[in-house]
Amino acid sequence: MKSHARLAAGFLKQEERAHWHDQALWYVREKRDRMAASVPDWERLRDTAQAIKRHALANLPHYLEEFEGNAAARGAIVHYALDAAEHNRIVLEILKGRNARLVAKSKSMLSEECGLNEYLERNGVQVVETDLAERIIQLAGERPSHIVLPSIHIRKEEVGDIFHEHLGTEKGESDPTRLTRAARTHLRERFLAAQAGISGVNFAVAETGAVVICTNEGNADLGNSLPDLYIAVMGVEKVIPKTRDLSVFLRLLSRSATGQPISAYTSHLLGPRPGQAMHIVIVDNGRSEILQRERFHRAAFCIRCGACLNTCPVYRRSGGHSYNYVIPGPIGTILAMHRDLKKFKDMAYASTLCGSCTAVCPVKIDIHRQIVLWRNDVVEAGYLGRAKSAALKTATLGMKSTRFFRMGGWTVRTILRILPPFVFNNRLTIWGKSRDLPRMPARSFRAEFRAYSRRKTNPPELGAKKEGRS
Amino acid sequence: MTDSRRLVLDRLKKHAIAGDTSYPAYSHPHTGITDPRKSFQSVIESVGGECRFVADLDDAWKVVAGSEVFLSAKQVCSYVKEIAEGNFDAEAIADARQCADVDLAIVRGELGVAENGAVWVNADPLRHRALLFLSGHLILVIKGRDIVPDMESAYARNDFSSIRSGYFISGPSKTADIEQCLVIGAHGAKSLLVLVVG
Repeated sequence: MKSHARLAAGFLKQEERAHWHDQALWYVREKRDRMAASVPDWERLRDTAQAIKRHALANLPHYLEEFEGNAAARGAIVHYALDAAEHNRIVLEILKGRNARLVAKSKSMLSEECGLNEYLERNGVQVVETDLAERIIQLAGERPSHIVLPSIHIRKEEVGDIFHEHLGTEKGESDPTRLTRAARTHLRERFLAAQAGISGVNFAVAETGAVVICTNEGNADLGNSLPDLYIAVMGVEKVIPKTRDLSVFLRLLSRSATGQPISAYTSHLLGPRPGQAMHIVIVDNGRSEILQRERFHRAAFCIRCGACLNTCPVYRRSGGHSYNYVIPGPIGTILAMHRDLKKFKDMAYASTLCGSCTAVCPVKIDIHRQIVLWRNDVVEAGYLGRAKSAALKTATLGMKSTRFFRMGGWTVRTILRILPPFVFNNRLTIWGKSRDLPRMPARSFRAEFRAYSRRKTNPPELGAKKEGRS
Repeated sequence: MTDSRRLVLDRLKKHAIAGDTSYPAYSHPHTGITDPRKSFQSVIESVGGECRFVADLDDAWKVVAGSEVFLSAKQVCSYVKEIAEGNFDAEAIADARQCADVDLAIVRGELGVAENGAVWVNADPLRHRALLFLSGHLILVIKGRDIVPDMESAYARNDFSSIRSGYFISGPSKTADIEQCLVIGAHGAKSLLVLVVG
């Protein structure tokens, strides 16, 4: 498995595309800023959202049972799954029970996390992703590179090629409107033919048993209203106590995600439509472990808006596929580490720790602080690699002793003034690959400060300073 | 299955959430909205929809009768008979899929939200809620007095005790999945007209 740094280097080779990717996401971030600024109580809304999450997640068994009871009273059938495998098994059993062979599926990061599509396809069920971006990704045989904008890395000409091959659009067609219309026609046929619909869940309301889904395209709504079987899959953390809480989360979600005041469709489903069977699969798959970790439990507050991806300077310039975990970017990093510290250790370093992710998070997760703490765990587990470990050990030595620190400073200042740059900027020094060293100052900060203090206690005569002025 | 249920709920009893975990007392009215009708209209326009204020249902009919979507529609399904009769009766058909060729649906909304231009539609009076998403174009009709400033007031008025499905609909169906270019009309309605009566 290639590290984030190596995958990012590959992404950056296509300079023009990398620049476009960066700009496209920054544009979304700016829209988010304008939307956030238009809501007078924005910061307090974020505080309230976090307080509701803290309360709900501290009382999850209670709220899950309340949700389950209310959803069941409305006619939905509720299942629990410990992990991805059980989730997939339950979904397949439900589908087989109704003899469903074609599924119209809406976006669900949980199903990506569980590898549901591959599992169903292996077991003879055809899955059609119906969100436009997800469909593009599916036809291209790729995985999403963003949790809200899954095909953000693909150019329109490439979509044209993919649609030409699979949908029979004209060769060379790259007009977004015409491509979207072609997808509409293509997917409308699938919606009408599918025996089942599957979707993720944005919020599940304990008080009423409502499942709430937010989309712009209307695909989830066709998928949950046309077929006679509908399956909603959700992580345990999606439950919120009251209907009223939706006013807080919905105001934050779309504004943070895409800079929209609200998504085009916000659907509240309380039980199946007449003549339909509705199943809800509630999945743990590691979430309970996240909640049990003192330093890291807040990662479970995430409402999957993607704002931290859009703002992250590293994500924007390296693309979602540089991250090995199914969820990329800052939030992906602090979720991946729970899965496998060793496997995803490089993600902890795919960050400048600038804190922008924390600043935009609608539920105020301390994302960049958690990334620092994960680095700590990576080092302590001994996963850092020999070169970096040695460098850190030397640095620790220097930091611990004043004498070493001064000696080190003097050595670096002297040597770097003498040595030509190629000694540093060569293939062998990783750090120097894309960086130049700053010009070395003549003396240390300590010496500079002493000189400054002397000047302050014995200020030069005022007249001397003004010399030369009239 | 029952075992997994017990196990999941048991695991979740243990957690590391420290400090105040009480349910917060909150209220966040949107204080930035001085003229709800104006805000409602301008947000709908900013998300690709259209909003017209009409004095009564007769005026509403005049707007509909003169609209491009109505004039070009072959199948019109109307739930607001005072505005238009329509020529497609969704109540008379058993399978929602037969609504797939409806060009225009006219449906009542219960609320309009000024802060985000969303209209609350209770789909229970519709035999096929899919109609809302299958129809090529959509006209939603709300009463002028039913425009509320924000989401908090909207949820305060919605009663979920008997409802089966309800939707906030804000503008037409849309996508920006190809290079962030906004395309109106993804899977659902290709245009949305909100008529505010009175």
